[in-house]
Parts: sequence; C-alpha cells; structure tokens
Amino acid sequence: MAELKIDNVYKSFGEEHILKGISLDVTDGEFIILVGPSGCGKSTLLNCIAGLEDVTTGDIILGDTNVTYEAPKDRDIAMVFQSYALYPNMNVRKNIAFGLEIRKMPKAEIAEEVARVAKLLQIEPLLDRKPSQLSGGQRQRVAMGRALARRPKIYLFDEPLSNLDAKLRVEMRTEMKKLHQRLGTTIVYVTHDQIEAMTLADRIAVMKGGIVQQFGTPQEVYDDPANMFVAGFMGSPSMNFLRCEVTRHENDYAVQIESQGTVFQLPVDPKQADLSNYVGKTVVLGIRPEQITHVMPHLVSEQFITQVPVKIEVTEPTGADTLILARINDQECECRVHPQEAGKVGDTMDLLFNMSKAVFFDEQTEARL
Amino acid sequence: MSVSRKKGIDYWLPKLVVSPTLVIALVFFYGFVLWTTFISFTNSSFLPSYDFVGFDQYVRLFMNPRWLNAMWNLVVFGVLFIGICMVVGLVMAILLDQNIRAEGAIRTIYLYPMALSFIVTGTVWKWLLNPTVGIEKFVISLGWDSFIFDWIIDPDMAIYTVVIAGVWQASGFVMAIFLAGLRGIDTSIIKAAQLDGANLFAVYTRIIIPSMRPVFFSAFIMLAHIAIKSFDLVIALTGGGPGNSTDVPAIFMYQFSFQRGQLGIGAASAVIMLMTVLAILVPYLYSELRTPKNG
Repeated sequence: MAELKIDNVYKSFGEEHILKGISLDVTDGEFIILVGPSGCGKSTLLNCIAGLEDVTTGDIILGDTNVTYEAPKDRDIAMVFQSYALYPNMNVRKNIAFGLEIRKMPKAEIAEEVARVAKLLQIEPLLDRKPSQLSGGQRQRVAMGRALARRPKIYLFDEPLSNLDAKLRVEMRTEMKKLHQRLGTTIVYVTHDQIEAMTLADRIAVMKGGIVQQFGTPQEVYDDPANMFVAGFMGSPSMNFLRCEVTRHENDYAVQIESQGTVFQLPVDPKQADLSNYVGKTVVLGIRPEQITHVMPHLVSEQFITQVPVKIEVTEPTGADTLILARINDQECECRVHPQEAGKVGDTMDLLFNMSKAVFFDEQTEARL
Repeated sequence: MSVSRKKGIDYWLPKLVVSPTLVIALVFFYGFVLWTTFISFTNSSFLPSYDFVGFDQYVRLFMNPRWLNAMWNLVVFGVLFIGICMVVGLVMAILLDQNIRAEGAIRTIYLYPMALSFIVTGTVWKWLLNPTVGIEKFVISLGWDSFIFDWIIDPDMAIYTVVIAGVWQASGFVMAIFLAGLRGIDTSIIKAAQLDGANLFAVYTRIIIPSMRPVFFSAFIMLAHIAIKSFDLVIALTGGGPGNSTDVPAIFMYQFSFQRGQLGIGAASAVIMLMTVLAILVPYLYSELRTPKNG
C-alpha cells in the first residue's frame, strides 16, 4: 500500500492531446474514482499509472519512488480490466498464481496465498475451472482475486463492473466497497457511471477533455460542483439548468422565473452565490429535481422556498418518486414529487422551489458563480 | 394463416438448388471411393476386372520397395514440412503482430506464394536449385568457387528440396492462420500479464501460444492434407527423381494405375492414402464435434 502522486501529466498521441496537465494526490488507503464521459482520458490516465502507456511529460510517484519511467512489472501495481483479461488457457487457480510464479515465490507460499484470496472472495469451489466455464460475475471475482493475490502497492480498476448485468452490478458494487473497507487498500477506479462513482468513492475526480474538472468527496462534487459540466454529469436525473434574469430582492438578490405567464422571484441564498455584479443580467440557475417538490405545508413559510404553479407536460413514475417535466422560462425543468401528489399531464400543479442548495453559473464560461 | 399442408416453392427451392452438388458429391466422391476400394480387392491390371483376390494387392503393395520408399519419403517430407511451416509461420505471425508499419503489404507478400499453383512453385524452385543455372551458379559467379548446393541431383538430399519449396509456398498461409488467432486474443490479457510481471517471451510461451491450441490444430490439419496429397509439387520439382528418390505415395499411385497398367495395386495404394488422411481427420472431427458442451 502506498500513496500516489500524479504531477502535471500530459499525454499526446501526435497532435492529439489526451491528457492536459493532470495532477492528483491520492493518500494511502483512499478509494479514488475517475469518472467522465467516454473520450475524456480517464482510461488513458489509468494506463499511464499502470505503465502500459508512457506519459509525454509529468511525473507519477508511487510511495517514495518516481515510477514514471519504470516498466509495468516493476511498479508493483495490480489492475482489473473491463474484459477481466483472464488467461483462457489456465484454470482459476493458475490464473491467480501466475503473477506469483513469475515473481518466483515458493510453491507452498503460492498455494497459501491462492487459498487466502479464494476464501476472501468466496471462489474456492471454482478454483479448478477454466475461465470459459465461469459466469460474468464469477470471472469478475477471479479477476479481482488475481489482483489481490500479489498484495501490490496500489490497485487499478478499469470499468470492472460495466460488463455485468444491472442487478449483479449493484451487488458487486456493495461487495467491492466492503472489500475496500476491510483491506484498506489504495484504489484508483475508472468508470463512466456516476452512480458507481458516488457510491464507491472516497473522492471523485470528474474528468472531461483531458482535464480534471473537479476533485472532491462525492458530497462536495454533488452539492458544490465547480462548473456546469460537473453539475450536469453528477446526479441522476441530472440538474436543471434554467437561464434566468437576476433582480434585486429586498436586501439581497433573486432570480426571475416565469410559469404560465406569471413571473415569480426566487430569492437567492447569499451563502450560495454573490450575484451583485449580475443584476439585470442572465445567469444559469442550477437546481436539482429533488429541490422542486410538491407542497409540504411545514416548508411553505421557509425563507428560500417559493411556491410556483406549473403545467405538467410529462410524468415519469419511478416508484419511489414521480418525475414531472414542467416548463419554466420556456425551458424544460424536471421536478421530483411524491407519487400520490403528482397530477396528470396537462394539469396545473403547485410546486415548491427550494433555493437553499441552488447553484449559479455564468452563461458564457459555464463556471460556477 | 392458411392451414394448407402444401409445401410451397420456399420449401423446395433450397433443396432443388443444393441437389446437383449433392448428386455430384455422392457419385464422384463417395461413389468412386467405394469403387476404388472395390477395385483394390480385385486382380485388375490395365482394365478393371471383377475377380476377387482378397488382400493380394495390399500384400504386393507392401512388398514393393518403391512403395516403402515412397511412404518413407512421405514421413520425412510430412514431418519436416509441417514442423518447419508451423515454426516459421508462428514466428512470422508473432513478429507481424507487434504493431509494425506496412503490415498489410507485408502480410500480402508473405501470403502470395499460396496464390501460386504448386506446379509454378515446383518449376521455379527447379531452376533456382539447378546447380548449373540457379543458386549454386550465382554464388560461384560471386567468387566463392568451391560453393556446392546440388541437393536436387543428390538422391539422398533431393527430398529436402521438396521440403524447401513446400515450406516456401505454405508458411505464409500458416502465418495468416496464426495471425488471425493472435488477433483473436484480447489485448488486455497481454497487458494483465505484463502487470503480473511477465516479459514478452513468457507472455507468448505461457499464455498466448497455449491458448491458441485450436489454431494449431487447424493449421496442422491443413498442412497434413497438403503433405499427404502432395503430387504436383514433386512432379514439377524433381519428377520423383533422381531415380525414385523423391517418390511419394501420390506419384506411386498415379504411375501404377495409369502408366504401368496395374490398376489393382494403384487402387490399393489409394486406399492406404485415404486411410492415412482419415486417421488424422477422424480424431480432429471427433474433438471438434464434441467440444460445444462447455463452450
């Protein structure tokens, strides 16, 4: 186990720049998730950490050693691949033992280690099977077992759950989290699934276009996004972005929204943003669907809550909640209400806009205000 | 939907289209296989006769030193041809698999000999190996006066020239088969092995080559049947000579059946060749048809 420091790493293929100055500090035992849309460079970064690809400039420091120019095998890193990459000609036992054999570990110790890992992952009954005789979830376990067997300094996971079906993915996610809590290993994990990122990570690095947009705990990234991309990428259903004008409101500011011909002032919590330079201008209001709810009497009188009647355009029941698509400022806005409170399509319904967690972005730069 | 039991053109057309091929296959392949087997148990000479003589022709066949010589040549040629083709093909495929430039062009060049007929290969190599016009002449003209490369006229060595020409022709094809096999391997397996600490040599010898067993089998089967039925190459290259030193069973069969008027013994040799092919093919088919159980 060790800490990992990625210092200003650039990676280019000819004229194409994949990574543009990535710096991350990962502390010992941390579970870091790199998340982003495809093509954002997250897998390339992982390959650079593993040494499967060389960095163009920058340093990768693992523990106390600079491993930037070391071969993959000398870095003491284990990796779990999306396709699991099990050796098809070997049974599970040999798959797990391979890395140990190559490193010339004594036979007895290898057997002991394989037994330990198999017990840990509950794959003892599978040890004599070939990979082709395993199901997806079993292969996934074996791939993890192979990584665990060597006790490397750091573990890398490249979208390990994306080949599993939805139910199994959720199960394996929980198991992976338990495993991490038990072993306390340093993990760098790549995924494009923001739910996976939220649930598993100690800290999330949201990437786009070869740049880390934000690096923080899941709650930070969710509540306090650095820009519109992060705000839109994290959370499902995603945050509503409403362009609206800033006005003065009592001693503070408010944003103006229009619904069914009526204009409403939504007061802005001064803790969330200082909009003094934007009076009369347009900003992007970012408000998550769960902050627009049905009318709850005990909330109506709160300071940053406004009651607004909207026309329901679409309803999407999800069981626990019903999502309502409304039209605000002539833009679509998704709201999350209790199923029993939800009206029918075409009805007008009163909703509460809770501005205490709303965020604001510059219309042009998309940066957080 | 109509309940009519009448089967329409959709039902008959595929059967109709396939039937000529089926008839041809039944008559000309299986029919003549049976007829040849039948003839091999008769005392046919110039013309087929139908007097049964039991295994007489087989006894005569295996008493004939030319046949034994031809069988021995087949063993030498087969083992060397298959072995060298596999090694050369595999090495070339592994080298080509290293993401090199102009791979498409190189692959085509290596594959080209397969597009030639064995007659052309044999003729070209006959000239190349001819001491008075070929390689030997060339090296001597460069100034190495004592250079000798006259295997093609040496009865003890001539069979190896057949191996050389055969390898030249077939190894590119074997390379293509192996290359396809290598391409079928998930590249992340190689990455995983590298992270596990294996060097490139260990990656190939311990993981990739062992997991290509089916590919090896296919290549072996193809080469083996080329070896057993080899006829045109030998005819064009050495004509079976010098003397009978490069005789192979196919030449023996042809000469006894159609030139020496000993149809019975020729048929017997043909049956032995068929048995040899079956001896290789049957275990192969058995293993192929048996596998789909555990994917």
